[in-house]
Amino acid sequence: MADPVVPAPPVRPSTLMVGTTLATGAVVMFFAGLFAVYFSMRADTMAWGSEWFPEGAIQLSPGGMNMATLVVATVTMAWAVHSVAGNDRIHAYLALALTAVMGIAMINQTVFYFNDIGLPIDYSTSTTLLFTIVGAHLVMVGIGVLWVGLLLLRALGGQDTRRHRDLVSAAALYWYATVAVYAVMWVGIYIGK
Amino acid sequence: MTITETAPDTEPEASQPAPSPLESLATGTDHRFLGRAWAAAGGLFLLLCLVVGVLVGIERIGLDDAEVFGSGDEVFQFWSLYRVGLVLLAVVPLLLGLATAVTPLQVGASSIVFPRAAALAFWTWLVGAVVTVVGFLADGGLGTPDAGSQRQAVALTLVGLLLVIAGISLATVCVVTTVVAARTSGMTLRRIPYFSWSMLVAGTLWLTTLPVLAANAVLAYVDLRGRPAVHFGAEDHIWDQLSWAFTHPQVYALALPLIGIAFDVVGVAAGVRQRNHDVVLVAIGLFGAVGFGAYAQSFFDTPGTPVMEEALYVVDAFVAVPLVLVLLGGLADSLRRGAANLGGRPPAPMVLAVFSVLLLLAGTLIGAVRSVASLDLLERSTTGAQMTFTIGAALVGVIAGMLWWGDRIVGRSAPQGLGLLAGLAVTVGVVLSGLPDTISGFLGMNDFPGADEVTAGSPGSGVGVLNAVAAVGALALLAGALAGALVAWRRLGGPEAPADPWGGHTLEWATSPVVVSSERPLLDATVPTEEEVD
Repeated sequence: MADPVVPAPPVRPSTLMVGTTLATGAVVMFFAGLFAVYFSMRADTMAWGSEWFPEGAIQLSPGGMNMATLVVATVTMAWAVHSVAGNDRIHAYLALALTAVMGIAMINQTVFYFNDIGLPIDYSTSTTLLFTIVGAHLVMVGIGVLWVGLLLLRALGGQDTRRHRDLVSAAALYWYATVAVYAVMWVGIYIGK
Repeated sequence: MTITETAPDTEPEASQPAPSPLESLATGTDHRFLGRAWAAAGGLFLLLCLVVGVLVGIERIGLDDAEVFGSGDEVFQFWSLYRVGLVLLAVVPLLLGLATAVTPLQVGASSIVFPRAAALAFWTWLVGAVVTVVGFLADGGLGTPDAGSQRQAVALTLVGLLLVIAGISLATVCVVTTVVAARTSGMTLRRIPYFSWSMLVAGTLWLTTLPVLAANAVLAYVDLRGRPAVHFGAEDHIWDQLSWAFTHPQVYALALPLIGIAFDVVGVAAGVRQRNHDVVLVAIGLFGAVGFGAYAQSFFDTPGTPVMEEALYVVDAFVAVPLVLVLLGGLADSLRRGAANLGGRPPAPMVLAVFSVLLLLAGTLIGAVRSVASLDLLERSTTGAQMTFTIGAALVGVIAGMLWWGDRIVGRSAPQGLGLLAGLAVTVGVVLSGLPDTISGFLGMNDFPGADEVTAGSPGSGVGVLNAVAAVGALALLAGALAGALVAWRRLGGPEAPADPWGGHTLEWATSPVVVSSERPLLDATVPTEEEVD
């Protein structure tokens, strides 16, 4: 009797990537909920001819600086993924460290700006929304920085390699989502006001 | 140079101290253990919520005064606890318990993916559930119409709710990832059993809608803390922002897995292969899409264009009905073709599975009628009736699923007759609770009746009798849940269950590793295809 044909092992996506995609998607939906409330209330307020933010309260430069910082961090994150895929440990150290530094710089800039903004959180619904969205995003960036820091430690220990790069790829996916969320904030809040 | 390492000498296993029960409980990551934990905790919260439901039901018999509770605000706290608890502390966790235990077996995975995260999810949810209930009982809750609650306790409730959402979301990530990325060889997405498919669809929807609910809760919390609330955290605004998650169309997404339970149970019980398999998969997917409710937040209505009167909301309501009819038709076809296999006494889970889909159909019908703006039912008790039917359908589906897969999850048999009685009592309770509320809506009773006639909407005569019937329905629900708890208790001491008590041939019944090579795994081993019969 012929041996039964055993099918090839299944080609499945990495569980870590699938899990991270789902979790990141959930986080993005959290921000989508906040943005929906923000834009809906802003549209209603402006339709009535009322003021959303006081004139000159929200400045473009700090938001633009943060956006630039995060764009650079996106490049460094992609560099990290590329370096780990190529087993280039030195570049991986550099790229991960720079990404973490960019994230910390972004948090620092945002905290400085919002200490200086002169708008109390309970000034109006617009400021409550602004502080909630910005604060939630800072938490998101903070988690990303911690994750990248963990990757850096793993890389120093020789654990992030071409064969074990899922965690770096998953972190990159999360990081790109973080930057994408900020891009919506930048356009919708800092530019659109 | 080749280095050959020898294993270091280790202590014999027998000398290792066995973990204490508490240690096992706190550190268990086995998916069947976690499934049992979700089910046990969800069952306890279900009983608590149903007791609250009975009290609220008795309160509603007389609309002109607060008889059970002290004030209208207290009525509101318990009324909203019943809704939030029934959905997020009871029915969804019970469904997640089934999913955590069963889906890895169904797709041929050795365990749930991310088992530690799955355990963390359960404990996060449990802590959140306790905090939520404590928040409600400490005069908090999700705000009150007359600002009569304690702000700190309201904040505590919101924190609890956030933990509950985080726990459910994390558990859902584990379940969905298992279905997507841990299937065995040959198990394509088209071949996975219906329950796993429905969890894939429902889980995706939960992950896209529950975070939006979390966003609403965070906004309310930020606004509430430390200063007078500007808008979102005002006590009479909080529930209005969160209530979309407990009504049409979101309740469909929350109850969706019951369809998968019904198709898995009926197919095996009737002993036939489900016809139009792909149509069923697509219909489940479409029903899930209809159930996406995060957009339907009437609190943020643009003046003049209420979301509940917009086309999408109304179309959602009307599309849900034919979709459930299509699914019911599929079940009826299987039952007709398998009538000879069923004999005179169909298995209890099958009876309950069919009832659960019938209740879901009733829920969608009420949802469709409610969405006709000219009938003025959108803010009436019809809203609660639709939730009762839809979430009640899921509860009956859960009981069917527990009776069906319980042998595999626990390893011991349960008294099926008592289980059938429990499910039937819940079914009767759902009908007795939901139908009077539907009629009361036409008579003008508001969804939240409060503790005086004006808050209740000054409904027409006869509402008192209908509310009394609804209270009896709440009692029947509680009796059914108690009977269900008794079934679970007796299962723990029951005889050892056979490996495959139902003659099912989906992978969860397999006792050794299986490689799927056929078109569909269901019943392949015993039932010839129609082509083979011809």
